[in-house]
Amino acid sequence: MSRARGFRRTVAERCTDWGLSGWFVLAVAFLYGPIIAAIVYAFNLGVVNKQTAVITGWTVQWFAAAWNDLSLRRAVEASLVVSFWAALISVLIGSALGYAMVRHPTLWVRRGLSGLTYTLLIVPETVIGVSLLLTFAVTGVPLSTASLIAGITPMAIAVVALIVRARVLTLDRRVEEAAADLGSSRFNTIRFIILPQILPAVVAGGVMAYTFSFDNLVVSAFLTTPQINTLPVYLYGSLQYGPSPAVYAAAAVVFVATLAMVGLAALVFRLARRPPVAFPSEET
Amino acid sequence: MSAAIGRQNQSTGSGGGGSSAASLAASVLKVRAADHLLAAVPTLWLTLFFLAPLAVTVVYSFGRSTFGGVTLGFSLDNYRTALSGFYGATLLRTVLFAVAASVLCIVTAYPVAYFLARRTKKRRTLAIGLILVPYFSSFLIRVMALHMLLSRGGFVEAALNSLALHSGPLDILDSQTAVFIGIVYAYLPITIVPLFVVLERIPPPLLEASRDLGASRLGTFLHVTLPLSRPGLATAALLTAVPMLGEMVIPKLLGGSRGVLMGQALSAQYLQSQNYPLGSAMAVLILIIIAAIVTALARLTKGFAEVGT
Repeated sequence: MSRARGFRRTVAERCTDWGLSGWFVLAVAFLYGPIIAAIVYAFNLGVVNKQTAVITGWTVQWFAAAWNDLSLRRAVEASLVVSFWAALISVLIGSALGYAMVRHPTLWVRRGLSGLTYTLLIVPETVIGVSLLLTFAVTGVPLSTASLIAGITPMAIAVVALIVRARVLTLDRRVEEAAADLGSSRFNTIRFIILPQILPAVVAGGVMAYTFSFDNLVVSAFLTTPQINTLPVYLYGSLQYGPSPAVYAAAAVVFVATLAMVGLAALVFRLARRPPVAFPSEET
Repeated sequence: MSAAIGRQNQSTGSGGGGSSAASLAASVLKVRAADHLLAAVPTLWLTLFFLAPLAVTVVYSFGRSTFGGVTLGFSLDNYRTALSGFYGATLLRTVLFAVAASVLCIVTAYPVAYFLARRTKKRRTLAIGLILVPYFSSFLIRVMALHMLLSRGGFVEAALNSLALHSGPLDILDSQTAVFIGIVYAYLPITIVPLFVVLERIPPPLLEASRDLGASRLGTFLHVTLPLSRPGLATAALLTAVPMLGEMVIPKLLGGSRGVLMGQALSAQYLQSQNYPLGSAMAVLILIIIAAIVTALARLTKGFAEVGT
């Protein structure tokens, strides 16, 4: 009797497990299908210089076309510059924020900073973008590379702050206290005790900030001008007129480069023997 | 604050006990200078490029659009316009859309997260990495590729035709359905992660205890696992529904003219009509709806405060 029940239970369990595995495989296929397709289309011949949904033949000519496309190239250059500065600013400010969120001596300051960070994450990018555009227009600040960089930093700062915060939470407070007891100034404690310990998180945060900034479309769409055009904005614009095949080739290259960057960030984290990127998932 | 002073007391105490109150005060100030700097710089930057612009938007939402400019004042006309007619309908549709898409994301993601949480640790890390890679790759490129796959003569059409699920050309682009698929696709990874995190934390002995006490597998899931995953559900809902309210890229690329959502209507006020006050009112309305959603979700996770580290 009990054996029969046990047997039935395993059958039911097995069915559930099979179902779950199948669902997982489907989800992964759903997530990766379009990415693989994007890369495949980069090699598609298309018809009369137009990309088509039907595979008409294989070629690598679009990579050359993308390389020789001047406006595409200028967009890539602008993106590289903008995301470099945005990532640099975000790493400096985001690390300070992530640290202060956990270790600032006053409770209400810590609460205020956490509140600010989570607010950053839940305000839609569209709202941030239009607000910045409006503010720049009202205050008479002309749209430039600098205003674009400043505009995309807030979101990147939040990302860096959360990664650094997760690391600071794991630090042993007593080490800092020992340093203070031995006469180290607060600045020196931060410089020589805390910074080396949070460095992997800072580097990983920097790479994430770079990736996020490079990929930023919504805020950039409001703050770019015909003179300053980043790659996502350029791609977005060209998609509305029907995609040129070179766009897919450029996209494939960017995709592979992004993957390499994220892989690098994961490697840095792994070398530091810490679990990967922490998400704000536990606290709603 | 008291902890910092206490620490400082100790350090000056161990320094020989000869220090005066003045030097104590000075060192307390010094201690706090570094901490204050670390808090002040981000606050200042974010005030300048985040809070102040939002404040400007709120102020403008009460203004009035005139020929070639804006008169500031206090008028609710923009809100009236934004809540009625085409814009009102768009707002309502956007909210319903975000809720539906968020639910669909969670329903799709839950089994995946459940599956992941029950793997061995090594496989788990690998699998979660597999899920996250698409999230960190370019959003635009993914939507672009999805557009290609869903278009006439694309892979999806071929696949559906060969499986005999559909015949003839596929007309799915430029519809709400396409926007729906695109949004679930874009937000699926970020839905899986918070669900995975809570499910992973449920101690297995708890589930075994439930089984030993006679609950069926389904009963254990409904009465133990599901209630314990509430914080994850709330976070997943927050991470999907909220950005969807402002989403403008996916509807534009996949929905064409038939899938207009609030994000697009809002951006059009700035980029095309130049009606800043109306656009500001729409932005403020989106923020108000988000605040309501956050409040509702916070209620759902009540009693889970200790989960937050």
